[in-house]
Amino acid sequence: MSSYIELKNISQSFQLNESTVTLFNDLNLSIFQGESYAITGPSGAGKSSLLMLISGLEKPTAGQVAYVKAEQRKTLDFLRADIGFIFQQFHLLPELTALNNVALPLKLRGDKQAINKALVWLDKVGLSQRKNHKPSELSGGEQQRVAIARALVFEPNFIFADEPTGNLDQKSATEIADILFACCQENNSGLVVVTHSAVLAQRAQHTFLLADGSLMDCSMAEAHNKQESNEMFRV
Amino acid sequence: MLTNNIKLAWHFYKQEYHHAHQRLLRWTQGVLLLFIVTLSQSSESIQNYLDKNLQGLLGADAVLSQQQTLSSAQFSKVSSLTNNVVMTQQIKATLTHNGQWQQAKIKAVDKQYPLQGELLTSRKLQGPSQQTLGGPALGEIWLDARLFASLSLNIGDQLLVANSLFLVSRVLQHEPDRLMEGHSVDMRAMINILDMKALGFSSDLINYRYLIAASTKQINSLIRWQQKNLPAAQIQHKQGDHPLALFWQRTENFIGLASIILFFMAAIAIEQLTQVHMKKDQYFTAICMSLGASSFAGIQVSCFKWIINLVLLLPVVILLSTGFHWLIVSWLNSAFVDLLWQWNYRPILKSIGAVVVLFAVFHTPVWFSLHGCAVTKLFNGENKGLSHWFTKISSIFVLSGVAITYSDNGLLTLMMVVAITTTIVLMILMSWITLTLGEKFTQNFSGLVPFTLFMMKQRIVSKSTQIIGVGLCTFLLLFTLMLLKDLGSTMASYQRQHDGNVMVSQATVPQLAFIENLAKQQGVTIRQAKPYMHAKLVAVNKQALAEFSQKPSESLATFARAIRLHWNESMPENNKLVDGHYWQGKEQPDSQNWQQISVEQEVMTDLGLVIGDSLTFVIDQQSFTFAISASHAFKPGAGSITFWVQMPTAALTHIQAPRYSMASLELAPQQWRLLAELWQKFPTLRMISLTEMTAIFDSILAMITQLISGFSFIIISLTCVVILASINALESKEKKKNSIIMSFGFSRSTCFRLNVIEWLVTASIAAMGAIVGTYLAGLLIYQSQFSLTYKADFIWLIATLFIILLLVTALGVYASRNNLRSSVRQLMSET
Ligand SMILES: Nc1ncnc2c1ncn2[C@@H]1O[C@H](COP(=O)(O)OP(=O)(O)OP(=O)(O)O)[C@@H](O)[C@H]1O
Ligand SMILES: [Mg+2]
Repeated sequence: MSSYIELKNISQSFQLNESTVTLFNDLNLSIFQGESYAITGPSGAGKSSLLMLISGLEKPTAGQVAYVKAEQRKTLDFLRADIGFIFQQFHLLPELTALNNVALPLKLRGDKQAINKALVWLDKVGLSQRKNHKPSELSGGEQQRVAIARALVFEPNFIFADEPTGNLDQKSATEIADILFACCQENNSGLVVVTHSAVLAQRAQHTFLLADGSLMDCSMAEAHNKQESNEMFRV
Repeated sequence: MLTNNIKLAWHFYKQEYHHAHQRLLRWTQGVLLLFIVTLSQSSESIQNYLDKNLQGLLGADAVLSQQQTLSSAQFSKVSSLTNNVVMTQQIKATLTHNGQWQQAKIKAVDKQYPLQGELLTSRKLQGPSQQTLGGPALGEIWLDARLFASLSLNIGDQLLVANSLFLVSRVLQHEPDRLMEGHSVDMRAMINILDMKALGFSSDLINYRYLIAASTKQINSLIRWQQKNLPAAQIQHKQGDHPLALFWQRTENFIGLASIILFFMAAIAIEQLTQVHMKKDQYFTAICMSLGASSFAGIQVSCFKWIINLVLLLPVVILLSTGFHWLIVSWLNSAFVDLLWQWNYRPILKSIGAVVVLFAVFHTPVWFSLHGCAVTKLFNGENKGLSHWFTKISSIFVLSGVAITYSDNGLLTLMMVVAITTTIVLMILMSWITLTLGEKFTQNFSGLVPFTLFMMKQRIVSKSTQIIGVGLCTFLLLFTLMLLKDLGSTMASYQRQHDGNVMVSQATVPQLAFIENLAKQQGVTIRQAKPYMHAKLVAVNKQALAEFSQKPSESLATFARAIRLHWNESMPENNKLVDGHYWQGKEQPDSQNWQQISVEQEVMTDLGLVIGDSLTFVIDQQSFTFAISASHAFKPGAGSITFWVQMPTAALTHIQAPRYSMASLELAPQQWRLLAELWQKFPTLRMISLTEMTAIFDSILAMITQLISGFSFIIISLTCVVILASINALESKEKKKNSIIMSFGFSRSTCFRLNVIEWLVTASIAAMGAIVGTYLAGLLIYQSQFSLTYKADFIWLIATLFIILLLVTALGVYASRNNLRSSVRQLMSET
């Protein structure tokens, strides 16, 4: 049975210089393992903040959050060990080789097969030739591929990616998107991508638009559109 | 172009003024400059003061003495070799007054006497003493208080010396060159040198003493000249083996060492900080270059910015250091009235120059790296391993050069540099080996320790820089503390506190009985009274003494005469056993085993004796052979009367010889008149008042102790600065690392534990380096610079180290708590 993250009626606001900044109110969202989600929206809308709430690293000001795993409801604290992140800036450790960067989370977990597993994942992202190169010797796209391998190597149930292609040119962006979605699918991980790129967003099974404090499910609309068009086609 | 670049530099300087890296650099540079300038100023003042005062205490920089007068050729040679020479003559003669007579040491001096220090006399017996320039006029004689008492004299009386009449005109209170004459308890008198000629003593009875003012270099050439031309003459000098001279030299070297240590600490701190600065400057130049400027312009701007920073910093530093210097001097002034505040230009210029060069040395890599570098390469940053080490090693070389020029004591600096370099190499090796092996062996274990080792190994370049920084600081700190402890205990052994102000060096059995009785009646405290007999060492292991040891030493010189042989039942309270057994077979009374002897440790070392050697003494014309069964050392705190050679009381039944005692008394001011009574009764009683000597000595000791503690305090604070700097240098990297680890689903407490483990590993490697470095430095420096025998007290070392380690780890973890205030969120917003 696949697990999922459930956010119910959550609100997030900040106290800034005695005025309250509300990012969003009464927001509902469920993220299922094995499915992909894209969140788009204007800058400053609170996409990254929402990502932090989903991942359980920050707490909402109001609302309920839960992590349902094997039909048991738990708090989001239990989610910690089951998630991986991918960032716009890649954030590889500059002193470590590509291989060691990928092996890092496994080493931390004390996995004796860390290096072997890391090799497998480097191969999956197509970088087994570059395993001994430091991040400074890799291109942005290559660095992001290493970051993807690093996020997936410990087979987390959910992957959160904040603007994973934001720093890349069109071609690399497409490559990265291909690899990201393929790997998550292969690993049966849930994927949440925050992006400004419509192209990237389109590839997700569910697309949301966060604007003016509310979250719109565009995929429903799209699916609806599709259905409509299908119907039309049938007609 | 140039003015343009200066303007640009000024602009960027202002812009960066409030940036964290600039502020930190400014602060560190400021603090270091402040420390070093203040210290060099204060130590210059203190050294001048000490120089003057110890000279006063010794009366001369060197004393050449022999039984003949110097020929005029010799005298002019000595004068040309040195700054100033004053001749004195001494003879033991009998003084007679109203049928009473007394033997005394008569010293003949001229108008130039005293050479250094103060000659104190008074016009009345109990009168206040005044500083006096020049000796007695023709026909006058000055006597010490004991002579007045023993001959029942008054000022204005006529006194007969070798059939000539002298007018008694003053009481002799203090002769500055007394200490150099050694421990003598003769009564003293002083006359004019022309009278001495007139008295017509046979010249072989006169001891000619030439008081000499000279620099260390001059003294050395004088000694060379004397050894060649006047081998029979003796030279005593302040660098020599006189305890005070030794003490002075130790203090001077300690101050020198402290400033070298501070200098290196400063280097470490700046080095650690420059890492941060380098990146910023490179980045900034890259921006300039991307805007079309040449890399040369980038370097120029960077240089100007650096210079502006320093130029603006210097006035503040000089002002503050002057204030601090003034505070220190006025604080010391409470104890030392004539210590004056004054500008010492040379040390200011010298220390500022040295520190500026030091700052420049560590900034050079930045300028170097800017030269002919492509924009992209600059943005990528990250110096590669080889060039990284190359710049490090060349900076060490330049730094050593600067340090050697900066310090007055080249040898000491060189030794320190050797110790530091060895420690650095060792720590690099140890970091590499420990981390490599540690990682290898723990590969198959899970847990945070293997992970930490793995991470440290991966980041070995930046980590080992940190380890070296911390390790060197710990080493310097540990060494300072060790030296402080050892110097402290040596100095404490000089301390005569609570040890009485009158020393009886030779009292016969009836004399001692009388003193004890008098003491009981008058309420005088007898601090100590210890028995001895005279014994002359004639052979070691059946070999004549002269053949046994040729190495000249204080011990050997003393053994040329009869020494005082003390006996006791068990170890005296102010001694401790160093080696062997103190009186074996003591359990059986009247043991056959009475021919045992215990010899003072330094004497053992000087003469190269070992336990089991046999010593043959002549005691009252009989020969006795003893086996060395123990070695003892002085232990401060229980009185100063200690003997080089001691035997068990059981030996007394076999040796018939006159017995004497040494004693020390504590007299209250109103009891001083008892001394006159004593001398009148026993003119042969050898007794000396120590008040004045001990007073000067004690106050100087107290100041030195404070001074040295002050230095150590500064070194401790600098250690903290260095550790903070090294943490700050890695802060952004650490923060990022923690955030990334948290993004793998680990909690902050895991990061904290990783942090603690990392600091423990860092501290342990640094600790090993520090121990070895301290050991090495001790080995190199102790004997040559402080005349201390180096015995590594490993238990003390390790205990102290352990405490330092705990503190370092705690400080490290505490200071890096900032790095834990990271979050995944920062990784998202960070650009
Ligand atoms: N801890 C906080 N305290 C105060 N304000 C905050 C805090 N965290 C985020 N904000 C504010 O919330 C708003 C939303 O930030 P967020 O980073 O989530 O936006 P975003 O949608 O990810 O924007 P972008 O597309 O530019 O990344 C911003 O205005 C930000 O300043
Ligand atoms: Mg964002």
